[in-house]
Amino acid sequence: MLKNYIKIAWRNIVNKKLYSAINIIGLTVGLAVGLLILLWVQDETSYDKFNTKVDRIYKVNASIGTGASKQVWGGTPAPVAFHAAKEVPGVEAAVRVVGDMDYSKFRYKDKLLRRTATMKFVDDAFFTVFDYKLLKGDPKKPFPTDQSIILSVTEAKKYFGDTDPMGKVLRGDDKDPYTVSGVMADMPANSSIQADYLFSINVRKKQYNGKGMWKAMDEDWGDYWADTYLLLKANASPIAIADKLTRIHMSLQKGIKPTDGVFQLQPLADIHLYNPDLTSAGAEIVKIFSIVALLILLIACINYVNLSTARSVLRSKEVSVRKIIGAERKHLFFQFVFETALCFLIALVLAFGIIYAIMPLYNHIANKEMHFDLFSTSVWKVIGITTIITLAASSIYPAILLSSFKPIDALRSRASGVGSGNFRKVLVVCQFAFSIGLIIGTLVINRQLHYIQTTQVGYDRDHVFTVNLYNNMYPHQDAVKAELLRHREITGVAVGDNIVNGDSSTGDTDWDGKPATASMVIHPFSIDQDFIKVFKVKLIAGSNFTGEKSDTSHYILNETAIKEAGIKNPIGKRFKLWQRNGIIIGVVKDFHFASLKQVIEPAIFSYAEKSGQLFVKTTGKNAAAAINLVKQYHVQYNHGDPPFEYNFLDDDFNNLYKTEQSTSMLFSIFAGIAIFISCLGLFGLATYTAQVKVKEIGIRKVLGASVLNITTMLSKDFLLLIVISLLIASPIAWYAMDKWLESYVYRISVNWITIALAGVGAILIALITISFQSIKAALANPVKSLRSE
Amino acid sequence: MIKITDLQKYYRTEEVETIALNKLSIEVKEGEFVAIMGPSGCGKSTLLNILGLLDDPDGGSYLFNSIEVADFNERKRADLRKHNIGFVFQSFNLIDELTVFENVELPLIYTGVPASERVGRVEKVLDKMQIMHRRNHYPQQLSGGQQQRVAVARAVVNNPKLILADEPTGNLDSSNGNEVMELLTDLNEQGTTIIMVTHSEHDARYSHRIIRLLDGQTVMENIMI
Repeated sequence: MLKNYIKIAWRNIVNKKLYSAINIIGLTVGLAVGLLILLWVQDETSYDKFNTKVDRIYKVNASIGTGASKQVWGGTPAPVAFHAAKEVPGVEAAVRVVGDMDYSKFRYKDKLLRRTATMKFVDDAFFTVFDYKLLKGDPKKPFPTDQSIILSVTEAKKYFGDTDPMGKVLRGDDKDPYTVSGVMADMPANSSIQADYLFSINVRKKQYNGKGMWKAMDEDWGDYWADTYLLLKANASPIAIADKLTRIHMSLQKGIKPTDGVFQLQPLADIHLYNPDLTSAGAEIVKIFSIVALLILLIACINYVNLSTARSVLRSKEVSVRKIIGAERKHLFFQFVFETALCFLIALVLAFGIIYAIMPLYNHIANKEMHFDLFSTSVWKVIGITTIITLAASSIYPAILLSSFKPIDALRSRASGVGSGNFRKVLVVCQFAFSIGLIIGTLVINRQLHYIQTTQVGYDRDHVFTVNLYNNMYPHQDAVKAELLRHREITGVAVGDNIVNGDSSTGDTDWDGKPATASMVIHPFSIDQDFIKVFKVKLIAGSNFTGEKSDTSHYILNETAIKEAGIKNPIGKRFKLWQRNGIIIGVVKDFHFASLKQVIEPAIFSYAEKSGQLFVKTTGKNAAAAINLVKQYHVQYNHGDPPFEYNFLDDDFNNLYKTEQSTSMLFSIFAGIAIFISCLGLFGLATYTAQVKVKEIGIRKVLGASVLNITTMLSKDFLLLIVISLLIASPIAWYAMDKWLESYVYRISVNWITIALAGVGAILIALITISFQSIKAALANPVKSLRSE
Repeated sequence: MIKITDLQKYYRTEEVETIALNKLSIEVKEGEFVAIMGPSGCGKSTLLNILGLLDDPDGGSYLFNSIEVADFNERKRADLRKHNIGFVFQSFNLIDELTVFENVELPLIYTGVPASERVGRVEKVLDKMQIMHRRNHYPQQLSGGQQQRVAVARAVVNNPKLILADEPTGNLDSSNGNEVMELLTDLNEQGTTIIMVTHSEHDARYSHRIIRLLDGQTVMENIMI
């Protein structure tokens, strides 16, 4: 029986080349794209789940303020872990993962390598809490001394080649010695924590010893700089533990408001997709892409179902004959399921080929390192689920329909009405509604991205590039600035923090008239007296820094800071940032120093005579000459170590929207593919319609119908379906995209032009698709078609 | 073998009800060769379809080997059909995607005959129908006569007790038509009951008895000598 199924299925595929090609191409593209998207979704949702104790690991987040001014941070003060491990019964272990190290290069004997990878300080429990593989070394005591270092395999290979790195000494910046006490496997790409060099937290503790202006590391509750992870005991309550930590904090930091420094625990499995304040940090996109994958697979399935059922009338004689000579319904049902399965198998193999071929490009666009490994069980999970569901969706209805023909009806040619018409129309409407929805989505996303990238952000970043001054050039920055300004290509030079992305913030603020219950988190920027001029930040009150010594006690705030602090007539008022009291000398108009997804927050400019980062504004006409000039100074002072690097602020700005850009590009591609598969199906249906109406077309032509008449007759029903699709898809897509836009503080609104564009686009594409077959049918010689009848 | 009593069949549309069989009663004994004749629309094909369990009667009784089959469900009908009845149609109704051998083999597959046994049985019947040399050809590569031989081969491969033939020579020239009628006669002589619908007096003369229908009723029966 099976052999017979295979034989007939294969011969049907070979004999009906056009239909088979349409079916297989549609399924192949649908499966390939559906699988690619689902692999992306699987990758996004797999973050940190390689940890066997993932269900018990939590990250501690901290909030400051209440209501609308409440801010939640992913960092905590360092003492949280210290006290959690010692005093909180539900905590089995606590690990801090903190900031980068200053070393820019490491030396092993005569091999000096510039550091390009990330460094982290961690507690000893790091390898027992997490599942990062320590290939060499003791996971229970990874740092035998404070001068121990653990390297990833990749980094270890760079320094030591194939020799054993254990016990060998690396010198940070050619001075501090660190002995290799472990080699770990490279951290998985789906790990939220990424590092290639690990140091003991004790190194940081020594630097942060309480002898300077800061308290000792385990006593300083004012600095939210450590990522703190807790391994809870089984059945421990995360809420109770967070409360206990907050209580410890309140009891140990005198004078703190009960709303500042409140802790919450966030499951490790959630931190990749959700921000500390539990808003989406990608979960939304994962949901949207899952839906897109489902829609594309559905569109491909609908194609198959439509073409199979449309062709059912052509198979009715075969079905009838089989029934008459003894086939039961189950035989025929399985025969047709098997035919679909064979089509799927061919499509799946082709889809694998496509996936393999475009994986590098896909990874590039998606900014990921996914692998399509057919030996991976997780890949097969995606393939298995996708294939079984789509196979079931595509095969069952046509199989039921085809096996249900009454043999005598089919032989008398009365089967043409079976399953035809309305159901197929509904499916075409669904298919095009999905496609139009995706087109509207693409248009809205692209418009929003364009809006973000072109909107006035309150400063001028055009033709500005930045370079790091490094140690040797740092003391000479005044001279460098003066020299650079002598050149015509350069219109301004400043030093300071990067204005594009003000990601540091502090709640350590005070001002005249500050209410006892008030707190304000502010974004500090250290700048020189030229910074405001170079970036054309608008001063709306007071004055700029002058470069005098007195500027060290001067502050310039943005409008939001003044408003939130509630300072009236701010010029000349006292303001305290960290430990430094000063007076407000100016107020600048609000500017966007973060993604336009975020509302403008309080910002403060403090004066710094010198800074590590140099900003050079060029005329735009000869930027290369300006870059060369800066390079000459870099070579002069830093002697080529490190190599000269620069980047334009436009690139930094675009990097803020990297996720949106890749999402937008992927969305555009998926929408294009959805419409392509839909049109493939429409083409098949149009071909079929032209075939079954061949006699009608012949008669109409004999009676005097023109090519236009015939084309209109064949096209109008399809076009009506597309219009219905548009009417259904528009309000749904409008609503969905409006919801999506809500995540942006500064956003466009969905409008009728977008909907109209999507509609006109879909109708035009559909018209072109249908016209080909319609015109061909209309041009056919009626004598032939009537004779064949 | 077959006994129908007061068999009725109507075709209804929204406005018109047509009586295809009007309380028709017929009996066919095992081993008989019966021809059914009559003008177009007299109900002969309807009768053949009901006898072949391809259509339901609207009233009356149908005994097949003394078992009432008029109210059989689809599954029981299929079962009875595949073990007892073979069909030969005017338009051959071969499956275009299958070769001659595969077309003839198909009924054996559905009745669950093992593959090893199938080959021998199919070859035997192809040999008997003298189309063995065409076993690997597809229907569209054969002449009309050859196609009808294949159809007859397919109808008899399961050794049915009854063959229902609906104008078996209608699409054939006289020479090929005669050959097919000879085949049916041979089968009947070997014990197979045959009921044949035909417009051709010439073909009807091959039968033992002619039943003439008009407006769904028997108007005459001729015994052939």
